[in-house]
Amino acid sequence: MAKSLAAYEGIVNSSIIRELRILGDTLKGIRVVHVNSTREGGGVAEILSWMVPLMCDLGMDASWEVIEGTNDFFSVTKSFHNGLQGFPVTISRKDMETHLAVNKANFARLRPSLEDAEIVIIHDPQPAPLLGLCPERKGKWVWRAHIDISHPYLPVWKALRPLVKDYDASIFSMSQFAQPLPHPQFLIAPSIDPLSDKNIDLSQTEINAVRADFGLDPDRPLLVQISRFDRFKDPLGVIEAYRMVRKVLPVQLVLAGGGAADDPEGKAVLDEVMEAVAGDPDIHVLLLPPDAHRTINALQRLADIVIQKSVKEGFGLTVTEGLWKGKPVIGGDVGGIRRQVFNYHTGFLVNTPEGAAHRIRFLLHHREMIDEIGLKAREFVRENFLLTRHLREYLTLFHWLLHGEGKSRIFL
Amino acid sequence: MTIEYTVRIKNQGELIMNNFIVRECTLLTRMSGIKEAVNLRELRDRVAACGENVLYHHFCETLLRPTFDYPDYHNDFAVWTKLYLGDRVLEERLGILDPYTIGSLEDLRGTMLDIIDGRLSELPVNPVVSKGNEFYFLEATTLVFETGVVIEEPSQLPAKIASMTNGSIFYHFIEARRRTPGCSDDFSEWLVQFGDAGDRYAKTLCSVDFSFLTLAEMRKLLVERLGSLGGNNG
Repeated sequence: MAKSLAAYEGIVNSSIIRELRILGDTLKGIRVVHVNSTREGGGVAEILSWMVPLMCDLGMDASWEVIEGTNDFFSVTKSFHNGLQGFPVTISRKDMETHLAVNKANFARLRPSLEDAEIVIIHDPQPAPLLGLCPERKGKWVWRAHIDISHPYLPVWKALRPLVKDYDASIFSMSQFAQPLPHPQFLIAPSIDPLSDKNIDLSQTEINAVRADFGLDPDRPLLVQISRFDRFKDPLGVIEAYRMVRKVLPVQLVLAGGGAADDPEGKAVLDEVMEAVAGDPDIHVLLLPPDAHRTINALQRLADIVIQKSVKEGFGLTVTEGLWKGKPVIGGDVGGIRRQVFNYHTGFLVNTPEGAAHRIRFLLHHREMIDEIGLKAREFVRENFLLTRHLREYLTLFHWLLHGEGKSRIFL
Repeated sequence: MTIEYTVRIKNQGELIMNNFIVRECTLLTRMSGIKEAVNLRELRDRVAACGENVLYHHFCETLLRPTFDYPDYHNDFAVWTKLYLGDRVLEERLGILDPYTIGSLEDLRGTMLDIIDGRLSELPVNPVVSKGNEFYFLEATTLVFETGVVIEEPSQLPAKIASMTNGSIFYHFIEARRRTPGCSDDFSEWLVQFGDAGDRYAKTLCSVDFSFLTLAEMRKLLVERLGSLGGNNG
């Protein structure tokens, strides 16, 4: 919790830090409470681990509360998660009762801070019922949906909607992810922290050590896809593309991800991947532990081209990470990848293994373009997808909630 | 709306030149509440009915959004027509629309509707996009605030512009064109008071065609061009 904005000077222009401090000055002392369901693991916890300290650094009285739940509760909220992403799941009345009961138990503990806060941000569906449990609230409450609910399984959305419709506002990552609600729906894209282990600059020694650890040949082009073993990430399509390229160029492929062992579907996909690899020594399938952030960082830096050939994707922060490392990304033409990958500028969007193979060959044939695209890609992320932009949008939202609701222009 | 300047006072209250107050703006985008369009006729009908804030966002505020800055066109309608509707003719006709040379947003809406109606009459069918490629109608709130930085002399422009954020460049150089009496940028309006000394800076600013530049490129170009006039760009 010791992060400070000063640490980001030099990564972004000092005028951007100054801008954040001015925006923060008029919010000094306001009490902001973030609530989610886990302190560690997952994208939301990663965001809150920098956002809350940086809000404090700006003078806000920001805190991060985590609701505690039972296994049954997390089983229900996992069903919510899957259902909101379109998978047919059943949420029973008993499940809804479990969801509410856990929130009631947490509310008893969180009540003082939630009632007094000027702004409360509730992240994802797990703590969503807290609003209904807090009739004495004084501040503005915002529901932040981090997941894609563009095509939810309708019974699940019908169960969740009553819990979120009375918030003062909601936030979605992209317009495509939103659902109609009777309050303003803001669009704030996620971001990466350039000082996190996943993204911080690494020494060449550390990068070389990772290359040696995994037996990667420094003299041949390397393609890297970082993602869990999931059909939506199309690892088999990546192998197919690699094989097409391999007929003419001696490339190597790394498919690195984690968490497959305790995930039945992930295990099945991993088995299929291993079968497709068929002992090819130039395909490196790496099962990494959840905290292997620096290893992933190094692999992305070792890559000549980063691949993210998803057939369904949320925002796709692995794409952002690849671009930040100055690599062209060949990505599936879906979801948030479309907001990050632009043909000939930051990489190429593809729809098939053939398309991916074609673009890999194209880039390896035009090596100078790899560097040009890489430079542009890093600057693109610097301008748009670092945490400073993310924080600025939250601060702007706070001003809107406190001083400018309904206005199209606010003068501070 | 006019821009405000601070007034520098020398010795016993003798008025000299007005200082330029550097402002900054940030953007917060939201859904407009208008249902997304899946075909050209729906786009037309929703453009006809949407608020000016929506039109303004899709034509003018695109530069400020966290998005890629090198599309062929800066207005979202032309980009959507190109990428998803696949109508090259309509794409070109919408792409050339310049919100800064058309009198008002209502005029802009009228022109856009004429173009779409014309195109619909030429086409045998109403073109439709595939699922996932709909046009989403957005609007935004901008938050404007002073940065605490002032510019006292034209010669300081290159150095001061070099340290501005994209939000400041957008507010003073782009957005000003819809707000200043002369439909110009804030810098040029401020430079008028300096007579001939300001005129050469204003002419240089006027020579910048910003249509195909990102905000970062705009800043760089402004610094280069103004710096070549011999000002302090260190």
